[in-house]
Amino acid sequence: MRTRLAIVAAGLLLAIAPAWAHHAFQAEFDSSKPVHLTGTVTDMEWINPHSWIHIDVKNPDGTVTNWMVECGSPNIMLRRGFTKRSLEVGTELTIQGYQAKNGTNRANGSSVTFKDGKKLFVGGSNPDIPPDQK
Amino acid sequence: MIPRVAFLALAIWLSLPGQTKTWAPPKTPWGDPDLQGMWPGNMGVPLQRPESLGTRTTLTDAEFAQKEAQARKQAQADNESTAASDSKTTIGPPSYWVERGTPTRQTSLIIDPPNGRLPPLTAEEQKLRKEARGGKGFPGEWRGQADSFDDLNIYYRCITRGVLGSIIPVVYNNGNEILQAPGLVVMRNEMIHETRVIPLDGRPHLSPSIRQYMGDSRGHWEGSTLVIETTNFTDQDAIGSNGAGYPGDPGHHSVDLKLTERLTRVDADSLNYQATIDDPKTWTKPWTILIPLHRNDRYQLLEYACHEGNIAMGDILSGARADERKEAK
Amino acid sequence: MRNLVHTTIAAGFAVALLWLTAAPTPAQTAAYRPPRAADGHADLSGIYQALNTANWDLEDHSPQPGTMWQTGAIGSEPAGESVVEGGTIPYKPAALEKKKANFASRRTNDPEAKCYMPGIPRANYMPYPFQIVQSPRGIMFVYEFASANRLVNMGKPEEAGSDTWMGTNNGHWEGNTLVVDVTGLNGLAWFDRAGDFGGKQLHVVERYSRPDPYHLNYEATIEDPTVFTRPWKISMPLYRKVEKNAQLLEFKCVEFVEELLYGQYKKQPGK
Repeated sequence: MRTRLAIVAAGLLLAIAPAWAHHAFQAEFDSSKPVHLTGTVTDMEWINPHSWIHIDVKNPDGTVTNWMVECGSPNIMLRRGFTKRSLEVGTELTIQGYQAKNGTNRANGSSVTFKDGKKLFVGGSNPDIPPDQK
Repeated sequence: MIPRVAFLALAIWLSLPGQTKTWAPPKTPWGDPDLQGMWPGNMGVPLQRPESLGTRTTLTDAEFAQKEAQARKQAQADNESTAASDSKTTIGPPSYWVERGTPTRQTSLIIDPPNGRLPPLTAEEQKLRKEARGGKGFPGEWRGQADSFDDLNIYYRCITRGVLGSIIPVVYNNGNEILQAPGLVVMRNEMIHETRVIPLDGRPHLSPSIRQYMGDSRGHWEGSTLVIETTNFTDQDAIGSNGAGYPGDPGHHSVDLKLTERLTRVDADSLNYQATIDDPKTWTKPWTILIPLHRNDRYQLLEYACHEGNIAMGDILSGARADERKEAK
Repeated sequence: MRNLVHTTIAAGFAVALLWLTAAPTPAQTAAYRPPRAADGHADLSGIYQALNTANWDLEDHSPQPGTMWQTGAIGSEPAGESVVEGGTIPYKPAALEKKKANFASRRTNDPEAKCYMPGIPRANYMPYPFQIVQSPRGIMFVYEFASANRLVNMGKPEEAGSDTWMGTNNGHWEGNTLVVDVTGLNGLAWFDRAGDFGGKQLHVVERYSRPDPYHLNYEATIEDPTVFTRPWKISMPLYRKVEKNAQLLEFKCVEFVEELLYGQYKKQPGK
């Protein structure tokens, strides 16, 4: 089953502009520099407005580069029952995104999954999540 | 005197399913109507009504069914536990990191003017918007220029979302909390950690020489409705979603803005938030929005330290400099 | 002999008279009972501000120049006595080196200079007022500086899900004293402009009491085993703002610090 990561096309009735249409990610990241990274977590910065996962990526030549991957607001993840202890150092993640325009080892994490393709932080077990947010 | 728009708001409220007709809220221990609680916003209603809907304040059953179906499809996409290997990425955070609301029948946040759309801008304001910043216009939506931080709007700069931008629901972190104490009401908004302490003792506003992004609020009760009048605004914030205006509309207003909010608890779990925007320098008529809020005491306001974590600002500016160096070659 | 008795009796009366009419010492008026708030507890509501130089330096400090000679006396540091019990902060040796490095780089690295939220305890002794609102939902602390604020949970204590600038605040009453247990602090805030700091295991326990109508007594016990050799304590009075219609004003300082933070990335003229 194909997963649609983009907003479902809205008719006149929805007419909602998602937050990131306003936050010009294309000002920060370069759509001509897609990245596909696999690495292990060294740190997770639970900060706003976006959290950052730090991962060590092994390069083809054997060297290791530490990347910073931009993710969503931590408040949502906390409300889904995930806390600062949920993502352990050493966890292997796969990132699809785009590199920062300024050439640093930063990327936005459009798709952040575990090795087996399961999305990070989906399927929270917090019983207090309101039904419309489950 | 209760303004016409209050009746209009009530009419719309009554037309939304599940509302009871008369209900008196309980009182706080010191005798004020009790509005306390966590009232997170619910995204999904546009500010302006599509013109094709005319003066209709609610969707028909068929239209609503369509909206619900779209929301279900989107929720399914959000909750897929795996990403397909051929899924396309867009530049943005994963779509499952959002808090999309529950669809409602309200056709627009604006309930007055009757067509649910913004009144026309004054000629003076149109001129201002055209000529601002040497013809570049007010920052508003990012249009590609990043010479300096003030080419970005105050949303990118993590300064504030202003009073309305802090409560107009967006894709996440729509927490609103009301606390009360004798002679005071405290309004908290999750983004960007705003807390207005609003006196109810009838004291005058600050002198007009003092200007604040969140203005200066004074509250009083009209029956069980909390009325908050706010003046002393700067002209630096932007009215709109995320406090950044909307595509094509930088949301600019003048320092003469007078904002009147009316909060009425219509049943145990529902609070009507209504706001009238009166700025004769900017819009030819006042306009009013209605944001129905629903209680959720399991929802927590979490610290949204926007400026402290604003890595994007440095990266946006240095990215623009990198682009310029590339083009120079 | 009779004169001696008379003199003694007269002296005794005089002493008694003096004792009865003497101005009461603080110890004799320790029985001030704060008014009750709607929650039945001591009412600590009000607007307060510290009147010391703890925000410059928690420890003893002589007057000294500031970081920019261009600001003359306005940017210079006044003298102040330590608010630390015992005088000095018990740093571990490596942490003391970090404090010194903080001090050397304070012009650009002090989080206050960058308009970052001040954290606890510093928010309470910044040179800006703050307001305590006692509500049935909890006790709000609203700070003028950078619109920082925190809600002290007075119900069942909650655990911090993530670390924040203003911490996770759980409160309870001990008689007329509000005790606030602060965890979940992110270790990024400083304690003052001199570079004093705590780390990621920072734990602060505050005590607020009202000794008379016009003051709060503020104490904070600070511990972090990664930074300090033992817990240590600061204490100071906080002064009630008594102006008619006193209110917090706004100090949203982000726009005042953008040049400092981002100026280096701006497009240079002529390029």
